[in-house]
Amino acid sequence: VSATSYGWLILAFPVVGMLVVSFGWRVLPGRTAGWIASAAIFASFLASIGALVDLEDHPEDERELVDSAWTYAATADFDVDVSILIDPLSVFMCLVVSGVSFLIHVYSVAYMGGDRGYARYFAYLNYFVFSMLLLVLAANFVLLIVGWAFVGAASYLLISFWYRRSTATHAGIKAFVINVIGDVGLVIAAFLLLNETGALDYQGMFAGAEDAFSTNDGTLVAACLLILVGAFAKSAQLPLHTWLPDAMEGPTPVSALIHAATMVTAGVYLIARTYPLFELAPAAADIGAIIGTATLLFAASVALAVTDLKRTIAYSTISQIGYMVLGVSVFAYGAGLFHLMTHAFFKALLFMGAGSVISAMGGIQDMDRMGGFRRAMPFTFVAFTAGALALAAFPLTAGFFSKDEILAFTIERGGWYWILAIAGYLGAALTAFYAFRMVFRVFFGEPVAEARELEEGHLAHHPPANPATGELEDTDVGFPAEEHHIAEREWPMRTAMVPLAILALVAGAVQIPGVTDVIEHFLEPTFEDSRYRDTAPTEEAEVIGLIVGGVIALLGIGAAYVAYIRRRGITLELRDRYSRVHAFLVNKWYFDELFDAIFVRPFSTAGSFGRRVIETDFVQGFIVGGATGVVRAGSSFARAIQTGYLRAYALLLLLGVAALGLYFLLASS
Amino acid sequence: VTIHLSLILFLPLAAGLLGAVVPRGLARWVVLAGTVAVLAYAIALLIDFDSGAPGLQYVTDDEWIAELGIRYQLGIDGINLFMVVLTAVAWVPCTLVAAFREHDRPRLFFFHLALGETAVLGAFMAQDLALFIVFFDLMLVPFYFMIGGWGTGDRVRATTKFVIYTLAGSLLMLGAAIALGVLSTPDGGEISFSIAELQQRSVSEGTQQWIVLLFALAFFVKAPLFPLHGWVPETYRSSPIVTIALLSAVLSKVGVYGFLRIVLPVMPEGAQHWQELFIILAVFSILYGSVLAFSQDNVRLVVAYSSIAQLGFIVLGIFAFDDKGAQGAVLQMLNHGIVVVALFLIIGVIARRAHGSESLSELGGIAFRAPVLAALFLVVTFATLAMPGSANFIGEILVLFGTYEDKLVYGLVASLGVVLAAVYMIRVFQRTMHDREGPAVESREIGRLDLAAVAPLVAVIVALGLYPHFVVDRTERATTASIEQARDVGQEVATR
Repeated sequence: VSATSYGWLILAFPVVGMLVVSFGWRVLPGRTAGWIASAAIFASFLASIGALVDLEDHPEDERELVDSAWTYAATADFDVDVSILIDPLSVFMCLVVSGVSFLIHVYSVAYMGGDRGYARYFAYLNYFVFSMLLLVLAANFVLLIVGWAFVGAASYLLISFWYRRSTATHAGIKAFVINVIGDVGLVIAAFLLLNETGALDYQGMFAGAEDAFSTNDGTLVAACLLILVGAFAKSAQLPLHTWLPDAMEGPTPVSALIHAATMVTAGVYLIARTYPLFELAPAAADIGAIIGTATLLFAASVALAVTDLKRTIAYSTISQIGYMVLGVSVFAYGAGLFHLMTHAFFKALLFMGAGSVISAMGGIQDMDRMGGFRRAMPFTFVAFTAGALALAAFPLTAGFFSKDEILAFTIERGGWYWILAIAGYLGAALTAFYAFRMVFRVFFGEPVAEARELEEGHLAHHPPANPATGELEDTDVGFPAEEHHIAEREWPMRTAMVPLAILALVAGAVQIPGVTDVIEHFLEPTFEDSRYRDTAPTEEAEVIGLIVGGVIALLGIGAAYVAYIRRRGITLELRDRYSRVHAFLVNKWYFDELFDAIFVRPFSTAGSFGRRVIETDFVQGFIVGGATGVVRAGSSFARAIQTGYLRAYALLLLLGVAALGLYFLLASS
Repeated sequence: VTIHLSLILFLPLAAGLLGAVVPRGLARWVVLAGTVAVLAYAIALLIDFDSGAPGLQYVTDDEWIAELGIRYQLGIDGINLFMVVLTAVAWVPCTLVAAFREHDRPRLFFFHLALGETAVLGAFMAQDLALFIVFFDLMLVPFYFMIGGWGTGDRVRATTKFVIYTLAGSLLMLGAAIALGVLSTPDGGEISFSIAELQQRSVSEGTQQWIVLLFALAFFVKAPLFPLHGWVPETYRSSPIVTIALLSAVLSKVGVYGFLRIVLPVMPEGAQHWQELFIILAVFSILYGSVLAFSQDNVRLVVAYSSIAQLGFIVLGIFAFDDKGAQGAVLQMLNHGIVVVALFLIIGVIARRAHGSESLSELGGIAFRAPVLAALFLVVTFATLAMPGSANFIGEILVLFGTYEDKLVYGLVASLGVVLAAVYMIRVFQRTMHDREGPAVESREIGRLDLAAVAPLVAVIVALGLYPHFVVDRTERATTASIEQARDVGQEVATR
């Protein structure tokens, strides 16, 4: 079996899984739907390994394989096939996506148990994984956009999975619409590139770009900025990030899968995939790097103040993706993608741990009401802490190596990139602080009532309600189930978390500067034409970076220890003293309010203006009624209709035409 | 098989006439059988159609009124192939759904339904301008009776507006057509209305300009395009659901089809003269329709205004005078027709679960006990908002690409419409299917009959999404030929 056949199989399994689960929703008993869906993704993962093995057999310069299934649409110079590209980058992404997704499926098998929308959930989840794999395997821009939009649709469906919760459906719409804005950016970019390079498939486009564009050509920079719009919408970068925190309305494994491990990294993948364009348009890449840096600082600062556990992790995701965007935008592809991989491990793990805690809290997500779960949930505690260590870039964990490689590359660029690197280190300190803020607030301190109950062997129960609004709910389809599931009691949840915890701690070993460099080396065939291949930092520089990063991580964790364990009241004092700053952070820098004023309100106003003024006065009044003659004619016409003259007339006309028709039918044949 | 276009054209009418003489209860089944036969015949036509052959296929050409140069000329090429198929596809589920509901005077209602199909097929297949106008006006008759006789609410007002608007448009077009026929007749030659013949003859540029404008008025009313959509709200609100489904899905396409069949090939200079204005109207319709769709409470009106926006995209594609743009417009004519039929049938299903209410503020939570209905509606929603992966997306992207080519700024503004479509369609889905059950709602799964009507349409939507090239491949040749001259004129003007 060739690598491209494996590629088609990677796509086929989730589709089959989705169809089986969705058409069998009535008959599949118990947790069968979940296991079928998990098996489908595992099959995809195996196929990805198959593709990897086959690809490694090819000589290095022949590791870009394209296979086309059928013509999607072709007219004039618009020529698009349903075709996939198998190269190290796409195989790398397939492995990460299908691997992590499989574990999240297994976790969900137990976590979603008892939910009345069980089969629907897994159908959506399979559809999502298919879309994401399509996105990374697509060999041309149009198919990329298809995968891109499918991913957005799947995310919409999963965010509003509990569809009778209005907070969830609103969050879903917000995510969907912001994603569509990104799609439109990509469509326009695709046109500009097609127009200048004459191709929509990557290989043709990149080859054409070399001839069509000089460095920082205006059109190319515009196209790259539009690609960034798409990337930032999907990857929740400033200012298109507002949907991601709201997306936490979805079930927790969804947050782990879509909004941490896979979908939100699509923007990073896209920048890496189109690197020949960005290298020709370094101005656009610089903007990407600046926005990535701004985002990582902004989101980390918000994560300091938010008290909702899942939203804290969501802001952490935004911040970490900021690092990845910075990485690929300074042309450190290996480093950015390495961080994408380690982040997928530890962030999925953190969400899984958070899900377990939230279950133990009976659905409550507010950290203010949590505490002391260390003894009640030892497994969750250890796993969550492993994730937090990696997030904080504690020395020798996975995040330690990946984050510092990005910053080392940034420093290597010199000049004003130093500012970005310093901001990155500042963000790292904040990251370590908020990571352990979560650990200390959730697992340390006095056990709350729920924790004590659990220590006695009971899982706490609250009347089912929307945690965001307090509205009471039933537990039928469209709302969460009555029962909650914690890792301590469900082996599938533990099975999913153990490999991730191990990976979060040790996966950095594959890419130790000067020692292993596995990822860098594996991806090399994809990036062999990069002009920045030789601007890698020296080993000494990387080691110095690692030491600095390690010290910063330890300082951050130490500060969190002081603030939340040693001198517990200090955070409250600070909050009161700097209440304005706190309000600014808690309100997420007022981005939602800003958007409301700039976009939402003008369109609603335009709508009601159109309805009230243009429709009634202009169209109905002026055009319909303004010419009074027409109106009079109309009313007399209407009277004529009612008195029946016209009816008779029309009938006559009708009969005449019918008779003629029959005549011609006979005459022509 | 040998395909006789006259057969497909008069089959529905024959069924309607037969239905008028059989017992009351049987009429509907006779007409339904007629629509199914038309569909079967249309599929045979689709299979038999040779996408590589230039010009018209299956031509029927007979003398009709020799003194006036009017001929009975029918033919199929890439532009109307899928319009005929769309008509055949749309009529079956609509007739099916109507057949299972009770109507007053059923024989008459189903006769009108059948007559409507013949009229629309005639307008699409006619290759003689006079014949086209006969069928174009004939369409008005059954639809006027269906809205006036079987509509709800303020149907008198609705029919009055509908008739005044469309009749005014038609009369202008009739005048324009006569003028075109007369003015294009060479000295000593015989008058002709055959479109192929008119293409050979020529009228002066100044004459073309006002004739095109008159045609455009008629077509824009039908489409409808801003600001000629005054008849839309009442008509959409008051019509029987199957009538409005057909009106919105199929009849709206006759107008824009007229541009491709008649205006652009016969009067390229005139079309070029108004290009800028029509593009502005199209772009404005896209934005205006979208914004208004967003602020409507009645579900039908959301679809009504969204149709204005969608037809705006189609007109934009045609008047971009670009291969991709026109190709996208033709594809979008088919796509929009199919999703709109499905949309209205689903709206009918929804209204029956809400005690007849079609107001978004009273709906919600229908997915609760109706997952199959929700799933079908979801696919249709995604297709309507032209989500990538649907054929609607390919249509829209081709229209946009074609517009960017020479009219970048208009294209960019039109792109906003893509985002707005996502907003108003997903809003409809949420407000009907999601959230807690609305005050009027009793959630119930879709019935077998409605499933039989909607599911095949959804299957077609999915199939088109997987393989849009099936359509593109068959329409490309004729579409390119249709806009060729107008494009050349445009380029001449640009270089001058």
